[in-house]
Amino acid sequence: MNASIVRNSPHSEPKSVLAGVLAVSVHLFFVALLVFGLNWKDHPPEGMIVDIWTELPKPIQEPVKSQPLPKQSVPIQEPVKPKIEPQPPKPEPPKPVPQKAIVEPPVKKPDIAVKQKPEPVKEPPPDLQEQKKKEQEKVKEQERLKELEKQKELEKKKELEKKQELEKQKELEKQKELEKQKELQKQKEKEQAVQRQREQEAKAQREAEAKRAAQQAAARNQITNEISKYKAMILAKIRSRIVMPPDLPGNPVVEFSVTLLPGGDILDVRLSRSSGHEAFDSAVERAIFLSKPLPLPPDPALFNEFRNLNITVHYRE
Amino acid sequence: MNTTVTQDMSFLHLITSASLLVQLVMLILVMISLLSWWYIFRKLFVIRYEIKKTDEFEDIFWRGADMNALYQRTINSRYESGSMERIFAAGFSEFNKHPAGSDLEAVMESTRRAMRATYQREMDYLESHLSFLATVGSVSPYIGLLGTVWGIMNSFRSLSSVTQATIAHVAPGIAEALIATAMGLFAAIPAVVAYNRYASRTDQLATRFESFMEELSNVLQRRAAG
Repeated sequence: MNASIVRNSPHSEPKSVLAGVLAVSVHLFFVALLVFGLNWKDHPPEGMIVDIWTELPKPIQEPVKSQPLPKQSVPIQEPVKPKIEPQPPKPEPPKPVPQKAIVEPPVKKPDIAVKQKPEPVKEPPPDLQEQKKKEQEKVKEQERLKELEKQKELEKKKELEKKQELEKQKELEKQKELEKQKELQKQKEKEQAVQRQREQEAKAQREAEAKRAAQQAAARNQITNEISKYKAMILAKIRSRIVMPPDLPGNPVVEFSVTLLPGGDILDVRLSRSSGHEAFDSAVERAIFLSKPLPLPPDPALFNEFRNLNITVHYRE
Repeated sequence: MNTTVTQDMSFLHLITSASLLVQLVMLILVMISLLSWWYIFRKLFVIRYEIKKTDEFEDIFWRGADMNALYQRTINSRYESGSMERIFAAGFSEFNKHPAGSDLEAVMESTRRAMRATYQREMDYLESHLSFLATVGSVSPYIGLLGTVWGIMNSFRSLSSVTQATIAHVAPGIAEALIATAMGLFAAIPAVVAYNRYASRTDQLATRFESFMEELSNVLQRRAAG
């Protein structure tokens, strides 16, 4: 009864939620370690840099060509605006002048008309009328003269204005020409700068090529020096191991073709030209085997020069 | 597995560009790993708690506490009681059910059976999920290996259409395939370690329970006789 309660009561498992949180955090930690702890990036090979350099000059030239074009179009539009702006004021000043000329005479004519109208009223005295007529004529003449003078002055003014306008136009044209010349100069300068850049790049390329060629030549010289040095060393080592058979007539020469392994081991020795003296041939062959390993340059790239060696040994040096 | 000159070898890219089966394998492994780590921590807390409770109970019991008081305490706090307390409660209640003067041999036999039944149940509780950890430890490397083999197979198959075979054609495929193995090992190693550790701990606890059962039956027998 009581015991069955204890038996059937479930276990209260401690901290199962905390366990879940810990499990997740362990995984997050591991993922973070993988993502940030390791450098998974693959560096591009250095040969790529050379490819990029050959491609670079083209994008530089293109923007240079395209840049002057918008500048040309912009200055052309700018001078057009000033042309339009000065022109409207020029027609305006002459207009008001003729208007004044037209307005003034009618104003004076009424004055004359008013004077003329009272005259007929004073007609009865003829002398007076004649005198008045003469006076009137004089006045009219004076007025005519005045009008002529005014007209002359107006004409002069108009001529002056015209001259001024012409001068202004000339100045504007000169300015435009100057601007055009400046633009042309700028373009020329830009083109020259681009040409200079190109020349400099070409020079740099040439210099780099020359340097490379020089370096290659130097490297080749070094390689040939190295090869001949080691060949001499091989021959010297073999010579030191030869037990020379005594008293051979003349100076017999024996030739062996030797196949080498990397590291200086001898794979194969073949007699390619006998000296005619078997004792000497076998002495040299033995010496070749005895001098194993043969001295080889440390650079493995040079081994191809030593793979198949032709060794010629003279009886007397 | 497109092979450009500069490979994006970032971890996420490798996972997202993997083939479907490799991705599936990775997903399974991540789930298994999460589950096994959850069980690892759960069992860690459970076994620690059980050891603590057993220590406490043995301390109280062997100091000569009153058995009736101990029994009442166990009944009252039955949700926080340890396994050893439950075994004691089962044996003690079975012993008390028999009327005084009945056959001592039969009483002790039934008491021992009751304690053994509770002991089996408690051990079952303590050893639960340990088999899962063992399975994870033995199987997840194979699942990871399957993903790796599949990924490498695919990367070599893509190599067949290329005239000039370079290591750059195969390397990213192999790298992404090897991630599956890494995940499998990441799931397996802690599972194996935890399994071994918890198995030995539960074995120790089982030994303690068994010896306690023997000692308790001795104590009860003396009590019945005396």
